Amino acid sequence: MTDAASVVVVGGGVAGLATVTALRAGGHVGPITLISREGLPYDRPMLSKDYLAGTRSAAQIELQPQEWFARNDIALLVGAEAAAVAAHETAVFLTDGRTIESEWIVLAAGGRAARPGIPGLDSARVHLLRARPDADRLRAALTPGARLLVVGGGLLGSEAAATATALGARVTLIDPLDPPHVSALGTSMAAWLHAQHAAHGVRVVTASLDALADEPGGIRAEWSDGGSASFDAVLVASGMTPETDLAERAGLEVDDGILVDGSLRTSQPRILAVGDCARVRGETRAEHWDAAQVAGNRSAATILGTSVAPSTAPWFWSDRYGRHVEVVGAMADPEGRHAGVVRGDPGPGHFSVWAVADGRVLGAASVDDPNAVRAARRLIDRGVEVDPDQLADPATDLRRLVRG
Amino acid sequence: MSSGIPVAALDDVPVGEGLKVPKSVTGTDDNIAILRDEDGTVWALNDTCTHELASLSEGWIENGVVECPLHGSQFCLRNGKVLSLPATKDTVAHRVSVVDGQIILFPNEAP
Repeated sequence: MTDAASVVVVGGGVAGLATVTALRAGGHVGPITLISREGLPYDRPMLSKDYLAGTRSAAQIELQPQEWFARNDIALLVGAEAAAVAAHETAVFLTDGRTIESEWIVLAAGGRAARPGIPGLDSARVHLLRARPDADRLRAALTPGARLLVVGGGLLGSEAAATATALGARVTLIDPLDPPHVSALGTSMAAWLHAQHAAHGVRVVTASLDALADEPGGIRAEWSDGGSASFDAVLVASGMTPETDLAERAGLEVDDGILVDGSLRTSQPRILAVGDCARVRGETRAEHWDAAQVAGNRSAATILGTSVAPSTAPWFWSDRYGRHVEVVGAMADPEGRHAGVVRGDPGPGHFSVWAVADGRVLGAASVDDPNAVRAARRLIDRGVEVDPDQLADPATDLRRLVRG
Repeated sequence: MSSGIPVAALDDVPVGEGLKVPKSVTGTDDNIAILRDEDGTVWALNDTCTHELASLSEGWIENGVVECPLHGSQFCLRNGKVLSLPATKDTVAHRVSVVDGQIILFPNEAP
């Protein structure tokens, strides 16, 4: 494959932007087209935080200005939408009738907000949060005193609950699990973070939502323990569904995401898939920002025929109630074999919780102590042997442990 | 060319750590982060990440790169170039030198 090959990237989220950025940084000289239906690529994590709060404008969350695409000779098709992909001719057909033939296609179509099977979900008072217009509509509903029900206590629901609370809304958060999100956060960090909702005045309901129904002046929610209340708005934050329609209709293998190998190749080797729409065979889908960026970099390496940086432990962050949360590696402990390590005191100050087994770090989660997680990421990647007591001692210099 | 500003003793900035020098001292638009790489070399960049409000002096410093403590954007210590998303704008690098164990900062002079 020569560097002059043409590449079309379908989707202008972080995975798509990382792909085109890494292609040009890696010396790719062939034509690059980026199809970005939503406009200029923007910083999607802001939609539940600064952008929802109104402290950053649409222009302030754009990742690259228009000139950047021109300067890097990337044809940015803003507002264009792919209608179909031809797998064997490697062509993308746009909804406006244009056809883009290309030697490589990178599918970076992202995902949609999941719609659980609850009656009443089509009410105008029900919100999803995935794209900028969703955030605009939700913000308009978050007037001071507005009664908001957040359905789902994962990252998105928790962040939106915190932002809505800061805007003066009266928030109820419902999730069938107490605490939710244990598989990603580990039990103790999940419990600590979940408790922050009540500490900030959010009513927390542990139940599943059974039904929604419009009523005069609001929307009534009924949940599984028989409880019920009326709200002005409902945000459904029940996870995401990978966007696989194009791939399915093109005959690519799809199973809870477009199936790809470690080089991000789909079942048609000239078509790659990255980010939220894709799933690496044998792995669970990684729905986080960093994973999407890493996949974009790797897909560029596949096209360029260059080697990729070794994989690192998965990492994500979350910001809520003025606290900065970071998580790396695997925090879940279904078999109860971790030595639980807590560094610092869970409370107003900074602290971290570590998953350690057999002298190796498996994961770490921090609140307002990002460098603990940066250290953990390196300790995991390098397989450094650690002493749990030493890790738990805040006097231990983690940078020194990393250096060995 | 200015005579530079002594900002700290070298020993006050351990290897792998940073020090924020306020703009009231540097006279620059932003605070300046003194960043000491793992090989002991001292560098200086504008302190505020170009993505969101975060202090690069609190970042992770390794192999010629500082990683923002908030969302992991990476910047080259040598020239301030942005190396990874979510930041997309380069930051400003300033000249710094070490004389008799003192870190001397030359704000707005290229390294």
